Amino acid sequence: MDERRLKDSFARVAAYGDEVALFFYSHLFLAHPEVRAMFPVSMLAQRDKLLGALGRIVAEVANHDTLVPFLRGLGRDHRKFSVLAEHYPAVGASLLATLAHFSGTAWDEDLARDWTEAYTAVALVMTEAAAEDATRNPAAWEATVVAHERRTAEIAVLKVLPDVPLGYLPGQSVAVECPARPRLWRYYSMANAPRPDGTLDFHVRVIDGGPVSSALARTALVGSRLRLGPPVGALRLDASSRRDVVLAAGSTGLAPFKALVEQAAGLAGHGPPRMHLVFGARTAAELYDLGDLEKMAARWPWLTVTPAVSEDHAYRGETGTVADVIGRQVPLADQDVYICGSPAMVAATADRLRSLGMTQDHIFVEDFGWSES
Amino acid sequence: MTRADSELFTPERVRSAAFTPTRLGRRGVDEAEVREFCAWISDGLGRLLNDNSMLQAEIQRLRNRLLDGKGKAGIRPEDVHVQAVSVLSRAQQTADRCVADAQEYSRELADEARMRRDEILREAKVRASMILEEAHSSAAEAAEAARDTPDPVALADQQGLQAEIAYLRTFSDVCRTHLRAYLESLTRSIEEWERAERDGARAAKDSVLHT
Repeated sequence: MDERRLKDSFARVAAYGDEVALFFYSHLFLAHPEVRAMFPVSMLAQRDKLLGALGRIVAEVANHDTLVPFLRGLGRDHRKFSVLAEHYPAVGASLLATLAHFSGTAWDEDLARDWTEAYTAVALVMTEAAAEDATRNPAAWEATVVAHERRTAEIAVLKVLPDVPLGYLPGQSVAVECPARPRLWRYYSMANAPRPDGTLDFHVRVIDGGPVSSALARTALVGSRLRLGPPVGALRLDASSRRDVVLAAGSTGLAPFKALVEQAAGLAGHGPPRMHLVFGARTAAELYDLGDLEKMAARWPWLTVTPAVSEDHAYRGETGTVADVIGRQVPLADQDVYICGSPAMVAATADRLRSLGMTQDHIFVEDFGWSES
Repeated sequence: MTRADSELFTPERVRSAAFTPTRLGRRGVDEAEVREFCAWISDGLGRLLNDNSMLQAEIQRLRNRLLDGKGKAGIRPEDVHVQAVSVLSRAQQTADRCVADAQEYSRELADEARMRRDEILREAKVRASMILEEAHSSAAEAAEAARDTPDPVALADQQGLQAEIAYLRTFSDVCRTHLRAYLESLTRSIEEWERAERDGARAAKDSVLHT
């Protein structure tokens, strides 16, 4: 396989942008109509994902150390979409037809061979990872909603019980699909450390026009069935660090931090670090979980909770953004700061910390649960 | 005997083949004719074998398609027509736009509804605090007036004032009750709206399932 030739070929094809993915999926669905049901009605986001993944694979085609873990993750993750090993040749055939179509006269036997070899290698890594995963885990975890609390007009807290135990690390997230919005998945962080009864809490904030979040908050009532993907995410409490911990939560960005606090409470060795949780919202009414947080703070003396309200100056506690409050309240020397919230909140808070002299290696960020769905 | 290559190759023609006997009293038939005949048979047999293997392959291909047919048949990638791809692509884009428009519309509606709700709540709060303030200051004035007129002669006045205080207290309670009812009805209509939306979503889902 000629790496240069493959990259040049992809660059030529990728110049057609969205048309490439559009052609690919239409070709696939015409050749295998039964595959269409595995995708959502709107394919807009799907096409972006395909082009993104292809671009990444081609860019890293010679860099096995990073490519293989990426492909293995991709293979495991595709199990939740009901993708089976027998789907791979169909995808490969349509991919080749697409590349040939957009390559025009540049398409020849050498290119066809390069791409066939590359795709075969990619499919092999993905199917192997999926097969390995299948010996340990279900393709997706079927689960039942056992509690559904509407805390504000926009925020619901769900408690969910998977049929089969779902093992995860505090701070991780899963993709969630609900029956009202089939084939649409949205990531949510587990808001608790693993419990003996196996239940998981999710904090769901309605995104205006977001199909999954609104369906979860409004229609996924007690008894509803959900499907959960495998746990992902690298947000971790560094248990070996002796530094104090600041948790900066914007709205439902609180969820993974509740899991980290519960995890800290169970730490052996030199016990939990001192933790300061700053919980920010626009108005006092939107501090949807303050009651529970205050109970936790009362129970664990190493935990301090500071609620902050940014758009109600009559509020009697701390006013301003989470960044404002941390800047005012928390001495930042010898702290590890974890940030989770909307992309804007995460960026603003991280900027503020850096301007206060914090180094990047003590700032931990989680924001991928905030897509527009 | 002579024949064209294209002449129909049939079992009858082979069986009824006739050869010219050799001359000069030798036994047998004309060697050249036999050779030509064998060549003709060989060509025909070759064509038949070739046709046969092509048909076998075609049968196998169709058989495979039938066997795979249970759910995941599909057609060969090279059979997918570029024009069909283009038609399906345009249809998909139309669907994408419809979904995006619906999502955008719902986003705008939710945004507007939230703004309206915040406005109503803000107004209600302002009105409530105004009414309470009014009631408080009236009560304070009345109490002041009552203190300033300890004169037994003004006893009737005092009774009148007490009645007024009682009235104002009642008025304040009524206001409070009204306000609470107003807020409760607001909450109720929000809930009803949500329920309607939920039913709508379910009905939409059912109709999708039934079509």
